[in-house]
Amino acid sequence: MKAAIWAGVNEVAVEEVDEPQLLNDHDVILKISKTVTCGSDLHLIGGYIPAMRAGDVLGHEFTGTVVERGKAVTKVQVGDRVVVPSFIACGHCWYCSQELYSLCDNGNPNPGITEGLWGQSPGGCFGYSHAMGGFAGSHAEYMRVPYADVGCFVVPDAVSDTRALFASDSVTTGWTGAHLGGTKPGDVVAVWGAGAVGQMAARAAILLGAEQVVVIDRLPERLAQVRQHIGAEAVDYSTTDVVAELRERTGGRGPDVCIEAVGMEAHSTGIQGAFDQVKQQLRLQTDRPSAVREAIRACRKGGSVFVLGVFAGPVDKFPLGAAMNKGLTVRGAQQHGQRYVPEILAHMESGALTTEHLATHTMPLSQAAEGYRIFKEKEDGCVRTVFEPGG
Amino acid sequence: MTGPLQQVLGKAAEFGGTALAKLQHTHVPGVGQASTTEPREVAAARWRAVTVFRDDLAGPFPELEALGPDLEVRMQPAPGDRGTELSARFHGTPTDEQVGELRAALRRTKQLAEVGEVLRVDPQPHGTRKATLQGAALEGAAARAPKEGVL
Repeated sequence: MKAAIWAGVNEVAVEEVDEPQLLNDHDVILKISKTVTCGSDLHLIGGYIPAMRAGDVLGHEFTGTVVERGKAVTKVQVGDRVVVPSFIACGHCWYCSQELYSLCDNGNPNPGITEGLWGQSPGGCFGYSHAMGGFAGSHAEYMRVPYADVGCFVVPDAVSDTRALFASDSVTTGWTGAHLGGTKPGDVVAVWGAGAVGQMAARAAILLGAEQVVVIDRLPERLAQVRQHIGAEAVDYSTTDVVAELRERTGGRGPDVCIEAVGMEAHSTGIQGAFDQVKQQLRLQTDRPSAVREAIRACRKGGSVFVLGVFAGPVDKFPLGAAMNKGLTVRGAQQHGQRYVPEILAHMESGALTTEHLATHTMPLSQAAEGYRIFKEKEDGCVRTVFEPGG
Repeated sequence: MTGPLQQVLGKAAEFGGTALAKLQHTHVPGVGQASTTEPREVAAARWRAVTVFRDDLAGPFPELEALGPDLEVRMQPAPGDRGTELSARFHGTPTDEQVGELRAALRRTKQLAEVGEVLRVDPQPHGTRKATLQGAALEGAAARAPKEGVL
């Protein structure tokens, strides 16, 4: 079958590879209908997470149809059209019982790598390096999904593949940030980053009752999407002092909840941006945390800062003094998608949550290299490139 | 694995596995976790433990029994309804390889008790595996990963 692979730093290729097989009794095999680029893939492709092996199949946000199932699978049927969260969770450990699915004790077969790096191992993730389990990703014609009864969710007939696709990661990640960031009715929520995850965090905050939601980015086409499709306010950080703007829009308080949806390759202006770029290129820091710094600065006293963007290692100039003295709650997580997908699909079915506008570019999987190039360069207003393996 | 290239790649894989074993004992700020490096006999004699989310956990545990008669196993309830703490250690001073086998066996035992299966990842689809030092080192680290970590 065809699959899009990581072939080396800044190299994506499409090759013929073996088809996946059932390895565990709780597995299913999916025929992939749609699979989409994610900003976090760019960290892998660019070599910022050095746990990719040449030949690894990329992709972790997808929909498909069940074509084969293991003998212990009971809920999911062959022929079901499903969406699957990108994190692999067993559904039986204590973390899964607490609905903290991305922290699953059993979903990562390589726990020694992440335990060595971070002290504990989160669950595994499709197509996201050997540190996260080394699972083949979704940019392929077929894909194996372990723990299928926990991870596969049947898509309602009224919800299209393109809409459901983003329930795999963008919406679930955004929902995780808005919910665990503590968004309550009446809150003011600020979101850094107007990519798919940032937009979906903003929409989740609105659906959770936030009274005012502000999204910060620099790309006019994404800020326009925020206004048109999300129903949130938009601020261009390249022309606006974000902290001053947020203070003015919130009666001098600052946002109650600040959600960072940018990650380790954040862009920023001025000396701070140059400082982080140089240090990262010299490998003196692995991650560029400029949006997190600004969120901590902007947040109201006693507020909440939620880190949704992907980080991998230590960061420099983290404003711990501000976080401590302002009494902030700083929290982060990969997505706990299995907790939120049913609620998200219901919102998608009712029309309260739409995602089609994120799929600015659609192409056959054979054009994956070009699809990632357009996505990385944000060319032609690209927000996400969707690949159709059958196309 | 006899040619010069294969030998170099083999060394790189070995390096990857060794580097992973050393990772948690580094003292670079922000990386690693050990406050100090304990004498080998002290570190090797520690109980290795997993908490299994079952309050009715009971043996036999074939994965642990396979490690031989020198292994001591104990169970006790975990606080806060978190299940059962399953701990094991070798009598005497085990080798690093024995400790690695114990970590992997405890993780498999936990998976069997909680899920009923041990999650596999290989074989699976992949494209061309280029023969690079970084790739070989990563393969060595990944092969060693089930036996390393904080247990």
